[in-house]
Amino acid sequence: MLKYTLRRILGMIPMLLLISIVVFSLALSMPGDPFGGEIDPNNTDPQYIEEMREKAGLNDPVHVQYGRWISNFMQGDFGESTRYKMPVAELIGERMPNTLFLGITSLVITYILAFVMGMYAGRKPYTTADNLIGGVNYLGLAVPSYIAGVFAIYFFSFKLGWFPFSGSVDITLQNGSFEYYLSRLHHVFLPAIVLGALGTASYTQFLRNDIIESSRKDYVRTARAKGTPETKIYNKHILRNSIIPLITFLGFDIVTLISGAIITEAIFTYPGIGQLFLDSINNRDYPVMMTLTMMFSFLVLFGNMIADLLYGIVDPRIRVD
Amino acid sequence: MQKKKSFYWLAAMLLIMSLFMAACSNGEDEAGAAEDDKKETEGNEGGEKAAQEGGTIVYALDAAPEGLFHWNWYGIQTDAEVLGLFDDNLITFDEELKPQPNIASWETEDNKVFTFKFQEGVKWHNGDELTVHDWVFSLETLAHPDYEGPRYTNVQTVEGAEAFRNGEADSISGLEVINDYEIKITFDKARVNNLLNLWTYPMNRKAFEGIEVADMEGSDPVRRTPIGTGPFKVNKVVSGESVELVANEDYWQGKPKLDKIIIKVVDSTAVTGALQNGDIDVVSVHPTIGKDVEAMENVDLVTAPGLSYYYVGFKLGKFDNEKKEVVEQKEKYADKKLRQAMMHSINREEWIEAFFGGYGDVVNRPVPTAHWIAADNDDLNTYPYDPEKAKEILDEAGYVDTNDDGFREDPNGDEFVVNFSHYATGNPTFESRAKALTQYWEEVGLKSTLEMIEVNQYYDMVEKDNENMEAFFGGWGYGADPDPSGLWKSDQLWNYPRWVNEESDQLLEDALDVEIVGTDEAKRKELYVKWQQIVNEELPMLFITELQEIYGMNKRVGGLTLDVSGFNSAHEWFVTE
Repeated sequence: MLKYTLRRILGMIPMLLLISIVVFSLALSMPGDPFGGEIDPNNTDPQYIEEMREKAGLNDPVHVQYGRWISNFMQGDFGESTRYKMPVAELIGERMPNTLFLGITSLVITYILAFVMGMYAGRKPYTTADNLIGGVNYLGLAVPSYIAGVFAIYFFSFKLGWFPFSGSVDITLQNGSFEYYLSRLHHVFLPAIVLGALGTASYTQFLRNDIIESSRKDYVRTARAKGTPETKIYNKHILRNSIIPLITFLGFDIVTLISGAIITEAIFTYPGIGQLFLDSINNRDYPVMMTLTMMFSFLVLFGNMIADLLYGIVDPRIRVD
Repeated sequence: MQKKKSFYWLAAMLLIMSLFMAACSNGEDEAGAAEDDKKETEGNEGGEKAAQEGGTIVYALDAAPEGLFHWNWYGIQTDAEVLGLFDDNLITFDEELKPQPNIASWETEDNKVFTFKFQEGVKWHNGDELTVHDWVFSLETLAHPDYEGPRYTNVQTVEGAEAFRNGEADSISGLEVINDYEIKITFDKARVNNLLNLWTYPMNRKAFEGIEVADMEGSDPVRRTPIGTGPFKVNKVVSGESVELVANEDYWQGKPKLDKIIIKVVDSTAVTGALQNGDIDVVSVHPTIGKDVEAMENVDLVTAPGLSYYYVGFKLGKFDNEKKEVVEQKEKYADKKLRQAMMHSINREEWIEAFFGGYGDVVNRPVPTAHWIAADNDDLNTYPYDPEKAKEILDEAGYVDTNDDGFREDPNGDEFVVNFSHYATGNPTFESRAKALTQYWEEVGLKSTLEMIEVNQYYDMVEKDNENMEAFFGGWGYGADPDPSGLWKSDQLWNYPRWVNEESDQLLEDALDVEIVGTDEAKRKELYVKWQQIVNEELPMLFITELQEIYGMNKRVGGLTLDVSGFNSAHEWFVTE
C-alpha cells in the first residue's frame, strides 16, 4: 500500500508539470491582460499602464515568463494578485474557511438527503414514492444552479424572509461569539441547500440501485430464510454493502469541497474560492487564476488517488499493489 | 457493538440537524424583527420627514470592493464609494465641478505658488489632529520610488518631486510648511490646472508609522483598519462582502445623525428584491431596472447628471505608439458626410428609452452637460433623428445603390458595409442595443454587420487598431479637470478614433496655456466651446448618450442629496423611524 501510494505521488509530478504548461499557455492566450479592459481615464494613464506591464514582466518572452512563474511556484511563492495587490497565498487563505464551511455543510446535506431518499427508494422500488423521489432527483440534476440560486433567494429570502440573501456573516456581531457562529450557519444554509440538493441526485440513485441489486443476492435470501426481520436486513446487511461504493465518492468530493461552487457563491455574494476564481478570470488576474487552477488540478489527482486507495481498503478483493 | 455505532451515527445526525434548526429559527426572529422595522416606515409618506436620533442604514454595492481603502491606492469605483463615507477630500467640487474649499482653502496669484490653509481642529479617527504634515506625508509617499499606485502624476508637477523620486533629495522642495495649518506649494511651472491635478488627500502619519512605502498597499491601515477624517469610522471589514461604519462623534462638520452605515455587497440579481423588501436602503441602480425601482412604493429613485458618455467611434487611422503619432489614414469613414448621415439616422431618444429606461440624455459633445465648460446645445449641431435627411446627405456624398440590392454602395460603386463591433460581457442587453444601432443604419440603406467581442479582447483590439475594428462602441468618463487632451489629442494612445485635427490640438493646448488664458475662466471656456464645436461638426465619433447616476433610496432615508459630484456629506443623512 505504501509503495503504491508513493508511486502514485511520484507519478503526479510529471503530470502536474504538463498541466502547468497547459494552464500557463491557456492563461496567456486569453485576450487582454490585467491592465487593459475597461479603463477609467481619470484614474490612470498610458505611461503608468505600460510601466505596470513592464514590472509584471508581461513584455518578456513567453518562456522567460513561464520559467519565472514555475520556479517561484515550486518555492511556494504564488505571486501577488494584480487586482487585490496582496499575496495570492494570503488571499486564498482568507477565502478558504468560507468555502470549506460551505462545502462541508452542503456535503452533509447531500449525505442526509441521499441516505434518506436512497434507502427508502431502494427498499420500495417502483412504487409511487420511489418514482417521486426519482423525479425530484432528476429535476434537481436538470435545473442549473444559477436558476435554483435565484429562485431560492426569491422564495426563501425575499418572500419568506427565512434566510439572508448575501454574505457569509452579519457584520454587526462580535467575532467569535455564539451569535456570530449561528449567523454564519444561517448565512451558509441557503447556498448549501442549493448546492447540496442539486448534488444529491447521483448519490441517491447510486444507493437505490445498489440496494435493489443487493436485495436479490444470495446472502439476503439466506438472511430472510433464517427469519431475520426486514428492517435489520436492509439497515444492516444491505446498507453496509451498498455504502462501500459510495465511500469512493469521497475522493472526488475533496475537489468539490475546495474548489467551491463558482456560480452559487457568486449569486449569494458568498466570498469564497469559487467567487475568487470567477473574478480572477474576468479581471485577468493571472497569479490568482493560475494558482487556483493548479490547486484544483492537484486536488483532482489527489482525490483520484484517495478514491483508489479507498477502493483497496473497503474491498479487499481489489489489490492496489 | 454494532448497535452502539449506529446509535452514535444517529445522534450525530440529530445534533447536526438541530443545529440547523436552531440557526433557522434564530434567523426567522431576526428577519421578522427587521421586517417590522421597515413596515413602520412605509406609512411615513407625505409631509416633511422627521429625523430620528441615530439609526442604521444599509448601503449596498453591486460589486465587491477590492479592499484598498485608502485614496492613495484605491483602484475601482466601488472602493471609492466606501472611501467617500469615511475619508474627506481637502477640497470639494460644486455642481459645475469647479473646486471649492473644504478642509483646506487656497490662494494663488500666478497659478504657480499656492498657499493652502487648513481648518483647525479637524480630527482623524484615531484622535490625532489633521495638520499639513499629514498632507506632506501623503505627497511624499506618492512620490516615493517604491510607490506602485497610479497617482505619481498627481505630485509630479510639484517642484522637486522628480528629484525626490530619483533619490536626489530627502524631501520635496516645492512643499514648504509654514505652520501646522498652512503650507505653500510651488509647482514647477504655472499651469491653469495645477490645483486640479494636485493630490488633495492626506495620510495619517501615526497609522502608517514604521511601514515601508513598498508594503503600505497591503498593510492594515489600508486593508483592515483604515482611518480617515470623514463623518463615519470604519469599525470592521469583512473582506469581499461587508463593511461596518460607525458615526464619528468628533466630525469637523458636526456629529452625524446616523449611528451606523452597513455597507453590503449584493449581487445585481438581488438588488430589486432587496430594495423592495427594505433589506437595503441605498444602492446604485442600473438604468435597465430603474423603472422597476421607480414603481416601488417604499423606494425613491434619485438621479443626478452623470459624467460618462457612450459613443460610436470610427477608426480614421492607425496609431504608432512608439512615435506617438497617427501614421496611416484609413479611408473607409474618412468622409465627414457619411458620419453625419449615420448620426442623423439614429433615433437616440428611442434608443435610450429602450435600453437605458430613459435614464440618459442625448448628448452632442464629448463633455457632460453638467460640466462648466460644456457648450450649449444652441452652439452645436444637434443631429436630430431624420432618416430622410440622412438619405439626402448620403445621396449627395455619392453613397447610392447602384446594383439594386437595396443597400448603398460607396462612391466608387463598391459594396459598402458598416462593420460594427460591440463588447460582450455576458450582459444580454448589449447585443440587442448594438443590433438596434445597426438597424438604424440599415434603414437609411447602409448595410451593417455586428460583431460582439469579449470585452478584454475588444479593448485590446481597439487600442491596437486591429484591422477588424472599424466602427466601434465605447464609453468614456469625465472628471473634474476640464482638459480632455488625454483622449483627444492626436499624439495620444487613447484617442481611439485616431482623429487628427490641427485646430483641435491647438485649441486644447491654448486652453492650458497660462499665457493665453491666465486665470480667466470665461476665456478658457470659450476655447473649449470652440473645440467642442469642431468635434461636433467633424464627428470622429457619434455621441449617443450621457447616462444619469441613479440611486434607489428607501423612503425612510432622508437628508441625502445627490449631484454631479456625488452625495452630500454623510453626516447629514438620517432615517425616519
